[in-house]
Amino acid sequence: MTGRNRWLSAYATIVYLFLFAPIIILIIFSFNSSEFSFGWEGFTLDWYPVLFSNDALIDAVSVTMRLALVTVIGSTIIGTLLGLALARLRFRGKGATETLLLLPMVTPEIIMGLSLLIFFFTLFGGRGSFGQLTLAHITFCISYVAIIVRARAVSMDPHLEEAARDLGASAVGAFRFVTLPLIAPAVWAGALLAFALSFDDYVVTTFNAGVGSSTLPLFIYGKIRFGITPEINAISTIIVAVTAVVILVAWRVGSFREDADVHVVAEEEPAT
Amino acid sequence: MNERHDGSSIDLEKQLVRYMIQRRLTRRDMLELIGKVGAAAALAPVIAACTSAAGSAAPTNAPTAGQTAGQSPAAAASASASAAASGAPAATPVPQPESELRIYNWTEYLSEDAIPSFKEMINATYGVDINVKTDYFGNLDEAYAKIGNDGGGFDVTFPTGVDVPALLAKGAIVELNKSLIPNIGNLGAEWSDPGYDPGNAHSVPYMWWTTGIAYDRDRIDENLTSSTSLWDPRFAKHIGMLDDWQEVFGMTLIQLGINANTTDTAEIDQAYNRLAEQRPLVRVWDTNTRRMMTSGDVWIGQIWGADLYRIQKRVKKARYYIPEEGGVKGSDTMVVLSGSEHPVAANLFINHMLDAHVAAENTNYIYYMGPNAAAKEFILPEILEDPTLNPDQELVARLQELLDLGPAVRDEYLKRWHQLGR
Amino acid sequence: MTVRPTQPPSIVRRTLSGIALLPGIVWLAMFFIVPLAMMFVVSLGSRGPADSLILDRPSLDNYARALDPVFLPTFWNSIRYSVATTLLCLVIGYPIAYWISRHGGRNKTLLLIIVMLPFWTSYLIRTYAWMTILSDYGVVNSILEALGLTSEPIILLNTDFSVILGMTYGFLPFAILPLYVSIDRLDPALVPAARDLYASGRAAFLHVTLPLTMPGIIAASILTFIPALGDFVTPDLLGGPESTTIAKIIQELFLQGRDWPYGAALGFLVMVVTLGGTLLALGPLRREVAGT
Repeated sequence: MTGRNRWLSAYATIVYLFLFAPIIILIIFSFNSSEFSFGWEGFTLDWYPVLFSNDALIDAVSVTMRLALVTVIGSTIIGTLLGLALARLRFRGKGATETLLLLPMVTPEIIMGLSLLIFFFTLFGGRGSFGQLTLAHITFCISYVAIIVRARAVSMDPHLEEAARDLGASAVGAFRFVTLPLIAPAVWAGALLAFALSFDDYVVTTFNAGVGSSTLPLFIYGKIRFGITPEINAISTIIVAVTAVVILVAWRVGSFREDADVHVVAEEEPAT
Repeated sequence: MNERHDGSSIDLEKQLVRYMIQRRLTRRDMLELIGKVGAAAALAPVIAACTSAAGSAAPTNAPTAGQTAGQSPAAAASASASAAASGAPAATPVPQPESELRIYNWTEYLSEDAIPSFKEMINATYGVDINVKTDYFGNLDEAYAKIGNDGGGFDVTFPTGVDVPALLAKGAIVELNKSLIPNIGNLGAEWSDPGYDPGNAHSVPYMWWTTGIAYDRDRIDENLTSSTSLWDPRFAKHIGMLDDWQEVFGMTLIQLGINANTTDTAEIDQAYNRLAEQRPLVRVWDTNTRRMMTSGDVWIGQIWGADLYRIQKRVKKARYYIPEEGGVKGSDTMVVLSGSEHPVAANLFINHMLDAHVAAENTNYIYYMGPNAAAKEFILPEILEDPTLNPDQELVARLQELLDLGPAVRDEYLKRWHQLGR
Repeated sequence: MTVRPTQPPSIVRRTLSGIALLPGIVWLAMFFIVPLAMMFVVSLGSRGPADSLILDRPSLDNYARALDPVFLPTFWNSIRYSVATTLLCLVIGYPIAYWISRHGGRNKTLLLIIVMLPFWTSYLIRTYAWMTILSDYGVVNSILEALGLTSEPIILLNTDFSVILGMTYGFLPFAILPLYVSIDRLDPALVPAARDLYASGRAAFLHVTLPLTMPGIIAASILTFIPALGDFVTPDLLGGPESTTIAKIIQELFLQGRDWPYGAALGFLVMVVTLGGTLLALGPLRREVAGT
């Protein structure tokens, strides 16, 4: 057993290195004294102060963050409910609902972006705005959350909730204290994915952003023609660094530490 | 009564009607406005007389001596108003800029001072604290889709010259209000009547460039002159082309001795066959020419001339040439969008960009050459002397312009572009 | 073996469950189906002069045009890239999801978040970083040369290899997350129990772990394959002339061709094929996926 553990741990290290390889390069080049973010020239810290005085860039980051936050909240709530319902219920039109779930993922981004543009413009005279972006982003994130939650909820024993009710819990209470904790990892996973999807979205955002709601991806892509400077690397580095610090702090404080014992008790499957 | 003091006559009614349309005023609004303006106009000579010393001096801080280096329409108007202070009839209403301006542009395509100086100018001249918002696009075709038929909520944008006719046909852009753009006189003669927009009626050129070929002299130790070098099998898998069907086909057609804007499908087929020969040799199609040429993967590539300067910072021995068979020139332009809610500010902005100092700043920042003749004296000498950034006029005159070919012909090109695997 | 859920008898529970479904369905109907229907109407129209839209003479002409065999090579590109990416993501992702679940202990969630961390940077910069790594004079080639393994750069960038590498990288979290969620559900006592019953390590994995984590594997496949099919940017940036995907063609028809009806028709066609294929593949796996 120990031998296998060692191999597995070594493997895990390699995978994490793979995941972070481009990030390490990205961070290194944020100190590049060349004005390109590729082709190392020399070390400099100059790009960091430059970016702090770049109001347009800071604005773009702010819009992106707020958008991602709202998107995560909206899509996680809706997606979780959807995923749960699909996992637990039998109802007419279930197949259709499942297909509905797959549709946004199957749709080419240009079609989704432009169809939303047409939709908002024709029906509401909308020309793009933060609100429009929120609606668009939540729309394409729901499926991802729902599918992940469903995968988890499907292997959850429904009797557990009934057992809780039998023991006097209300329907809402059973949901809160039995179901929710059991699907919690899936909800978190969905939220993480939704954040990444929204944060980095370009095509749908291009057609649904309006005046004053340009996001970071729009800002960055807009620089392709005249050269992406290491400033962009710097902002990405800062975002990663801040996120890492926040996570570390939360972890120290104990929010992530799972209490192993309680978990096992709740997960025990009765004999089937 | 409709004559300005300096003798030029304006049709006040026409201006008022146009103003109404641009501002979407109803007749009732207009009557109200006239009442206010009339009152102001009556007082204007008095106010102008008091402030003429301060007012007309501020905008014109460039060397005077009759040069139109930094004129704004307000200065012209207030100058005539103060001159008419001695009891002449009501001065013309000076259009006030709105309080907001929405620009849709590439990221940081203007110098860092462009917008701040514009805001200062508006504040000093009109006392309006204007709010300028910029939003970004990374791709012109996406921008055109976004602005649709009326501008997508923006006031000013920067399309390429080629696309101006199509935008006009769609109804997305409007005629410029030249009375607000006196600086248009700063444009070099060769830009005052471009093929895509006669008389600069709807657009003003912003930056221009040539399309040619760059190569690393270190890896290719020869003096290349022809575009056939991009087909040289010795450079297989180290050749790069622009990811732009019109540029790629254009260069190929010119190489074959055909007009770059041909509509003849047989000729387009010739170009296609030539490109099919090239395909196995091409490493990448990319519009990020700086990345393409500095990574070392590409030794010879089709680029926009102005990019060479930045490429040379990494690839010291990079050279650029316009193919001996002929080349292409292009430009970015500034236009006012039809759905703009701030047309006065939009036109004033364009005028400000044409100011010699501002234009020079922009050029010095982006390292692209501008069409502004008056700006030349403020442009960095290294740009002016660089034959790639600033080729001599003879050469430029011989270059072809890529034109809008219309949907049907475009389809023919794109069909073959798809067949090339693009 | 999945558990069959019981049908809740009480009206109260039904209503509550209905409430769970409602927001999602209403939302998707309003902000997805309706816009998509509008785009469908566009696909029935035609492009007029000045790139305008003519909608008053609906026809299926664009669909007929879209069935052009010239699109097959690019469609095939999309399929083979997505299949390769999905398989690699599953193969690479499963062990790491397993490791996080079994050996993460108290730090499981932290380890999972660390997996996601790289994806909170800009996609473009990450991809440029990969270009720097794979380029002829980039990290990999420099190392190979330094070690004396090569004398000339190996062309890694702008090839199928770089495309699949980039796509796998990009979609790895899409696989790891659902896999983890499913693996984490497993009772840790099951595998030792199987071993007690004389199953080999391999048999225990194949007959206990794998089937029980099937919902996760299917979810991971869906979440990888389908978006990968629509990813045109990665093949565009990391690929060469032969890497064009159907998603890029659709994009071009809209933006460069300015022929929205045609682009929409091709897009819908590709969607139907993709959806049909997915549902067909999922059919026999109904029970694992839906639990019914």
